[in-house]
Amino acid sequence: LLLRARSVSNPFESADFTQQHIAFEAQRYPDHLDSRSERHTPLRRWCFGLTMIRFILMVNKQGQTRLASYYEWLPIAERTALEAEMIRRCLSRNEFQCSFLEFRGYKVIFRRYASLFFIVGVTDGEDENELGILEFIHCLVETLDKFFESVCELDIMFNLEKAHFVLDEMVMNGCIVEANKQNILKPINLMEKASAEESIFSRS
Amino acid sequence: MSQRLRELIRAVRACKTAAEERAVIAKECALIRTAFKDNNESFRHRNVAKLLFIHMLGYPSHWGQMECVRLIASQSFPEKRIGYLGLMLLLTEHEEVLTLVTNSIKNDLNHQNQFVVGLALTCVGNLATEDIARDLATDIDRLLRTSNSYTRKKAALAMARVLRKVPDLTEDFVDRITQLIKDRSHGVQITAIQLMIDVVEAEEEYAVHFTRLVPSLVRILRNLLSMGYSPDHDVSGITDPFLQVKLLRLLRLLGKSNDSTSDAMNDMLAQVATNTETAKNPGNAVLYECVQTIISVESEAGLRQLAINILGRFLLNRDNNIRYVALNVLGRVALDDLAAVQRHRNTIVECLKDPDVSLRQRALDLIYVMVQQDNVQELTTEMLNYLVVASAEQRASIGSHILDTVERFSPSAEWRVNTLITLLSIAGGDVDDAVVSSTVMYIAQEEMLYSQTVHKLFSMMKNDSQQLGLVHCAVWCIGEYGERLLQSCPASLAQNEDKVYPAVTASDVVEGLHEILVMHNANETTKSLTLTALAKLTLRFSHDPTVTPRISELVQQYKASMAVELQQRSVEYGFLLGTEPAAATSIADLGGLRNETLTRMPVIDPAAFAARRAVIDEDEDGEVMAAGNSGAIGTLQAPTSNGTAAGGANLLDLDDIFGGSAAPVAPAAAAPAAQAVPQHPKTQSTEDILADIFSTPSAGAGASAVLAPTFAAPAQPTAQPLQPTGGDLLTQLGGVEPTAAPMGSNPSATVAAPGSGAAAPAPGAQPQAWPAAAPVVAPQAAAAQTSPGTAEFVAFEKAGLLLKFTLSKPDAADNTKTMVTVTFSNSSAVGMEGLVLQVATPKFLTLQMQPPSGTSLSPNNGNTTTQVFTLTNPQHGVKNLAVKLRIQYKSKLAVGGEQQITETAQVTQFPFAF
Repeated sequence: LLLRARSVSNPFESADFTQQHIAFEAQRYPDHLDSRSERHTPLRRWCFGLTMIRFILMVNKQGQTRLASYYEWLPIAERTALEAEMIRRCLSRNEFQCSFLEFRGYKVIFRRYASLFFIVGVTDGEDENELGILEFIHCLVETLDKFFESVCELDIMFNLEKAHFVLDEMVMNGCIVEANKQNILKPINLMEKASAEESIFSRS
Repeated sequence: MSQRLRELIRAVRACKTAAEERAVIAKECALIRTAFKDNNESFRHRNVAKLLFIHMLGYPSHWGQMECVRLIASQSFPEKRIGYLGLMLLLTEHEEVLTLVTNSIKNDLNHQNQFVVGLALTCVGNLATEDIARDLATDIDRLLRTSNSYTRKKAALAMARVLRKVPDLTEDFVDRITQLIKDRSHGVQITAIQLMIDVVEAEEEYAVHFTRLVPSLVRILRNLLSMGYSPDHDVSGITDPFLQVKLLRLLRLLGKSNDSTSDAMNDMLAQVATNTETAKNPGNAVLYECVQTIISVESEAGLRQLAINILGRFLLNRDNNIRYVALNVLGRVALDDLAAVQRHRNTIVECLKDPDVSLRQRALDLIYVMVQQDNVQELTTEMLNYLVVASAEQRASIGSHILDTVERFSPSAEWRVNTLITLLSIAGGDVDDAVVSSTVMYIAQEEMLYSQTVHKLFSMMKNDSQQLGLVHCAVWCIGEYGERLLQSCPASLAQNEDKVYPAVTASDVVEGLHEILVMHNANETTKSLTLTALAKLTLRFSHDPTVTPRISELVQQYKASMAVELQQRSVEYGFLLGTEPAAATSIADLGGLRNETLTRMPVIDPAAFAARRAVIDEDEDGEVMAAGNSGAIGTLQAPTSNGTAAGGANLLDLDDIFGGSAAPVAPAAAAPAAQAVPQHPKTQSTEDILADIFSTPSAGAGASAVLAPTFAAPAQPTAQPLQPTGGDLLTQLGGVEPTAAPMGSNPSATVAAPGSGAAAPAPGAQPQAWPAAAPVVAPQAAAAQTSPGTAEFVAFEKAGLLLKFTLSKPDAADNTKTMVTVTFSNSSAVGMEGLVLQVATPKFLTLQMQPPSGTSLSPNNGNTTTQVFTLTNPQHGVKNLAVKLRIQYKSKLAVGGEQQITETAQVTQFPFAF
């Protein structure tokens, strides 16, 4: 795919991440949270037995979360621990290995675009189509790419709310709403325009 | 949207340390709070956007929730939009704030602008609580019928949330939902199908409402396939794979155990399976879903065959993702059609060699399911090969799997033993203790194999002592069957086997064990087992006069070990081997005892062993598992001597009486008191051994102090062993000899002394606190000093049950012997059944018990039963008698049913003259 090639050559790497950043990220995600959150897992599985997307994350190679959307409630401490652990596992895999992990009652499907990992967690049951989710990740990236006109990590970070708006058009309640780029972007663009006009209007 | 958000992000990124970042965030949060408080209209939505960023970084942001609620109510679209986003990210369905927004959402659902409605629907879909769902259900239902597809698709998923939260509404809406299938828009179709999937998954009986839709669903699918290129929905050559996948999934739910619907979709599934282009991932996703559907529904045999073939093709794919899903589905197929999976065995086995760990794990799970009688040898070999490269955390579970496989399908005993030994040689350090104990059990059962097994283990142990599991197993076998090492033996039972294990000399064996003792990675269990094996070898190699001194020397080295367990073993074996000077004089009959104790362990009944293990597995607290920590072999022996699983807990542990298993440290508890006196001036002043006993904790070394907490711990029904003492039968024998006497009905009680010795460590729980030393000297004891002959006292009384001891001297010439007649009576209003009395004595006493006259007591002193036991006190006049009782009975409750009651008591008020 064109986009794949393009996104690899994108200036994703231009972000000036320092070593300190990595070090401090490591401090931020203390490991002791793991054991506690492990205990919640059975209950959580029981509550949310239905097959669904349970979270979508965009995390960069340094382990910094760029976007997180959870479709079930988790305490903040547990989220950060989960994200840290997840990226550690994703990073440990190479491109020849498969894109699926089983982890804490989730089935995790991830795909890497340049320095950014797109990670989707679904119920670890029999019914979710892993390949379908993988395709959905690609669709999400293509949509973002179209919306931001050649997306990079910084676009998502600085326009967090816009990225969320796009995601909300695509996923709702843990289910795919729309996978057609035009259908997703048309209302978004309209809304963006309306917002811009209105804010100009209200300021004047 | 806002410069300030960008500035905040920059500021955060510029931070060099976590502390700096926290400071920046704290400052920003303070500013935002102030802005919220001042009700600053113009920057509200910008502030909430900043809050989203702060939230993503993992800082608390719940205090912004109220602001979101206010934003939602705002008239301005951008504010509303960010307000909803904030609500969805910052809030949870558990927050009470949500009740405040119900009205705003309701208003927005009725808004004329489709985007405002869309926002409100998204919010309902992501957050709705049960209350909100009930309140808004009718509005959402109305929106399901609007002409706008943008609204309809969102309303469908919002409805899914509503029905998930309030399942009883499904009844009302199910017909409305079926209408949605007629929609032309793909977005609405996909969400409507999702809604149906949700409904059916939640409650299967609703499937009947949708079965008549099967033809429509099939038609939609056919249209998708035959549509040709459609730029709107094309994803690498496949028309809307997302919709196809969802359709196939709904068909799967509808066709499950329903012949007519399965029939209706049969052709269509065949078409999807044959026509889907598989060059790209979307095609494979559809095909994967299709195969799953074919397998789950009642499809024709030919179609199933096709599906299995597709999986076979998937397995050969170079893309690991596809192989992964293929293995996944094959795992499910294997449950009802194992033969189909067996055909792909070689490919699956190949997957075990893949560098990808997810793939390997899947393949392993599958292979485990595939094992059968005819392929067990081949597949076990593969699993063992994989074990070599498996990561440490996987090894334990693989080991248990292999054990399970071997137990179920083993073609021959020789193969079973050899496989288990290989397993231990690969992963002996990582596997469960259960593997070691099972291996030992299987070895013990095959007498034909003793020679070759012990030879094999001995040579393996010499070559590689890194795998502790193997070492433990080897050491145990050498202890049991060491004499077989002295003759050469063929390496296999096969007739034409040329390879022969050469004979080993006795001193080589002893030196081999010595190496294990000094090996750097030997833990306490290893050493304890080795000490026991060495002690046993004195008997196995009794013909060789040089062996015993050497073994004594090795055993002696641990006499002052810091590890209590090792020290205890060392001292006790010292007595048994006759190297301790004390032993020779004071315990004359040790020679016979030695032969008895060091003899070969009885072969375990596998059924009892399995039952025992099942009990352990069931015990989720894992407390019983902890009993294995002193060596799996120890745990293994318990059932032999007991017969019942819980038997171990039934016996008294005299170690407790004597201040815990720190005994060897404290001279008072080390058997012959005569020896103790000079070392321990304190004991000279008191004639009562119990005073001596209870002084132990203070007199003893630190080890006894360590035990104190265990001692005080409350009793548990399945008590853990006190300390590593649980290790081996022999440990107990040297030290304490609790003896249980049966009262007839309980088969477990018919155990020989060594047996109960092994089981003794298991209990350890003493419910009552031990009294201080002073009151122990009973007044009667002093009073009765001068009048031997007979004496009578009440030994135990509780809940109506009364035990009266009548003492007499059966042999006038021998004043060391005391006969005790126990009279049981029951003054309570309820009957007692299955009465069992167990008696334990300090180690200087020997005990002989007779069977009781009866095991049931009728209420209100209706009858009495008696039981006699004889105590022999070689230190008559120096130490007083003392016993500990454990009484078990079933009390018949007034309201029907029985209650098992267990009591323990110590009896110290024996008159001194006895």
